[in-house]
Amino acid sequence: MLEVLHRYRILLSCGFILFISLLLATVNARSPYRMDPVGVLFLEVMQPFQVGLTALTQGSVKVWDQYRDLLSVHQTNEVLRARLAAFERMHKQLIELELANQRLELLLGLRAQALGSPIAARVIGRNPGAWTHTAVLDKGQRHGIRKGMAVLTPAGVVGQVVSVGPHAAHILLIAAPNSGIGALVQRSRVPGIVSGTLAGHCHLKYVQRGSDVQVGDVIITSGQDGIFPKGQQIGSVTRVTTRDDGMFQDLEVMLSAELAKIEEVLVVAPAVVRAGAERLGDE
Amino acid sequence: MPQRSSEQEPSDSETSKLRTFGLLGGCGAGAILLQTSVLQTLPFVPDLLLILCVYLGIYHRSVAGAAGAFFLGYALDSCSGLPAGTHTLAMSLIFSAVALVSQSLWMNNPVSVFGLIALAVLLKTVTFLFLHEAEWAAVLFLPLVARYVLWDVLFSLLLTPLIFALLAAGERGPSRA
Repeated sequence: MLEVLHRYRILLSCGFILFISLLLATVNARSPYRMDPVGVLFLEVMQPFQVGLTALTQGSVKVWDQYRDLLSVHQTNEVLRARLAAFERMHKQLIELELANQRLELLLGLRAQALGSPIAARVIGRNPGAWTHTAVLDKGQRHGIRKGMAVLTPAGVVGQVVSVGPHAAHILLIAAPNSGIGALVQRSRVPGIVSGTLAGHCHLKYVQRGSDVQVGDVIITSGQDGIFPKGQQIGSVTRVTTRDDGMFQDLEVMLSAELAKIEEVLVVAPAVVRAGAERLGDE
Repeated sequence: MPQRSSEQEPSDSETSKLRTFGLLGGCGAGAILLQTSVLQTLPFVPDLLLILCVYLGIYHRSVAGAAGAFFLGYALDSCSGLPAGTHTLAMSLIFSAVALVSQSLWMNNPVSVFGLIALAVLLKTVTFLFLHEAEWAAVLFLPLVARYVLWDVLFSLLLTPLIFALLAAGERGPSRA
């Protein structure tokens, strides 16, 4: 008997475990309550490990999820940075347009001051040298610009057209040493000539000693040079130096127009031409 | 060198059996913990116990092996929350089938082992469907069941060489000088 059992031990043990398993499965499938006498013991032994491993796994998954979130945050950050850069560019363009709009409005206001038919032009180039003060306009003969025309901005006088091409014109800025504009001290009506220096300052020349000129006095065009319309602001007196010898005072003038920053200008025909044109128009 | 009596130190055979018992028990417990806690985060949980039962069926065709397969299934039922008997029956069936087949045929080669793994997965699936009275519903969802079986077989086949190699190395134990 024992020999038979030993011979078929595997078969018998398989049959036994299958029988017990089937019994367990059948009983547990039919009963609402589980018949699991040893399972509780297994569970008690494994429970601490399960708790620890589950916590570890969930922690790892959480860390991984956070890492993935971090990666996506990085990508989102990049996208938002790009968008922000684009918006900043747009904002700068809008500011630029707003500023251009303001300048053009001022130019339109100047144009309305009966200056004949002024031509609006943009400054497209400047002389990079420190000793010469010239600039280039984007309009020339084809647009009606002629040599000798006055160049103005709402802030004040800029200079004079010295040479003209078909589509561009050179202007000599008021701060150039070889420029000269007939001027008046607005308050006391003392005449003189505003001219530049090599140092880049402007002076009101040929003002007699003893004339009533003070620091802060506004200097305007006199219109007597036949080029600039009368009454355009040139600048203001910043220093008055009275020498002991000589006939004239030395007056330093700060220009109203910031020559280094001008972008749009109005080119106006000489006063004589304007007057002739107005007479022809009246007739 | 005087030999010690069996009461003082277990013989080589007893030591080996003890090591095998500890190894397979430890591996079983580890597999249960992995399957019920760690691997649950994966989209598909590979059945490590099934591979262990196939290993028992091939290399440990004995009463102890049968008891081991039974208790592994029972422990998995207890730890996974399934009604007792589900995995128990599946693992017992797998062990029995593998043991009986490998008793008659030469199974100690990779191709046969892969065949046994596929058979084991099929047996497990059929057992589950049978116990959950879903055999008729399974016919309606045959593509779903087939896909599940396919994934299970694939994962098990991928893991089997590794697990078998580790278990064999563990059973051989550290080489003695």
